[in-house]
Amino acid sequence: MCDACGCHVPVHSHSHDHDHGHDHGHSHDHSGTKTVDVHASLFAANDALAKANREHFEADGIVVLNLISSPGSGKTTLLEHTIEALKDELKIGVIEGDIETERDAERIRAKGVPVIQLTTGGACHLDASMTHRGFHQLQKEPGGDDLDILFIENVGNLVCPATFDLGEHERVVLVSVPEGPDKPSKYPKAFTSSHTFLISKTDLLPYFDFPIEEAKGDALKLNPDLRVIDLCSTKGGEGFEKWLDYLRELAKALKKKQA
Amino acid sequence: MHEISLVQGLFEQIRELAVENKATKIISVTMEIGPFCGVVVDSFQFGFDILSGDDDLLRGAKLNIVYPEVTYTCTECNHVETVEGKTLDSCPKCGDSFLISNGGEDLILRQVEME
Repeated sequence: MCDACGCHVPVHSHSHDHDHGHDHGHSHDHSGTKTVDVHASLFAANDALAKANREHFEADGIVVLNLISSPGSGKTTLLEHTIEALKDELKIGVIEGDIETERDAERIRAKGVPVIQLTTGGACHLDASMTHRGFHQLQKEPGGDDLDILFIENVGNLVCPATFDLGEHERVVLVSVPEGPDKPSKYPKAFTSSHTFLISKTDLLPYFDFPIEEAKGDALKLNPDLRVIDLCSTKGGEGFEKWLDYLRELAKALKKKQA
Repeated sequence: MHEISLVQGLFEQIRELAVENKATKIISVTMEIGPFCGVVVDSFQFGFDILSGDDDLLRGAKLNIVYPEVTYTCTECNHVETVEGKTLDSCPKCGDSFLISNGGEDLILRQVEME
């Protein structure tokens, strides 16, 4: 499929590198039984594709963000408001990941930006190969072949998406106030693998037992480089402006790198 | 949650190895499963049993699991502890529950025994 689009992504889902001590010659033969030492990561295929995706995105000048969170923390709402605020400044595209339905894509489409929906049909996360396919589909949508920022909204799940690199530049993890403050300690990988931690629905703080400094402190202990932003209702206010500035900076930095 | 699809990917790899080595039967498969690779060992074993039972090359194959060493650094007292095969919930020295882990994030096919 990639020969057609010329995007230089390995067509085989398992690039068969032999440069990592993957010695097929090393086998012991005992009376018809043969033991073959392999030492190959099962994630290597995904990681190779993710790297190819990232190179592809950079060649096209697109900053890519992978949004992960539990279901219902406000990823789609955040995207709706982000698009409204930035659509005159930046060309935005969205890949929506869900197990079923086109609903999220319809919400984003209503905002007038190119979007495609990936339905995983049961799988709990997106992977690099789905992302690659989704990106090509998105390029066929009106405006989809000329983007500054691409958001990938992962399947709502704090566990599995943390394991799969999609080729994004920044990983953003959201936790909403009603979910409780213990998410960083319960799902550490989502926080150690992310660049930015958004706390959403902070206008609900008076109604929930959510010690916000504790949640932030726990996340920063796991990952001292994490950028933390509070979002009031994911709909505006100081935190939202900080979020928009962060996106503007990312887009600017990539353009600068390209120049 | 995605163990079955990982086992499917593994079996594809093993099928290629069997062809390369002209083997018709897989006796055992040794996997290194890091405690932070996102794989639940019981589910992986379950997927392995179910899918191998359905496959002429792999039927009856044994799954051996080895666990890599993981190094934990306590964020409170900086104590470093290396353990194998289990995760560490708290610092054995000061009891703090915030530990930074290093390693144990990969899922590796180590060895295949065939005939």
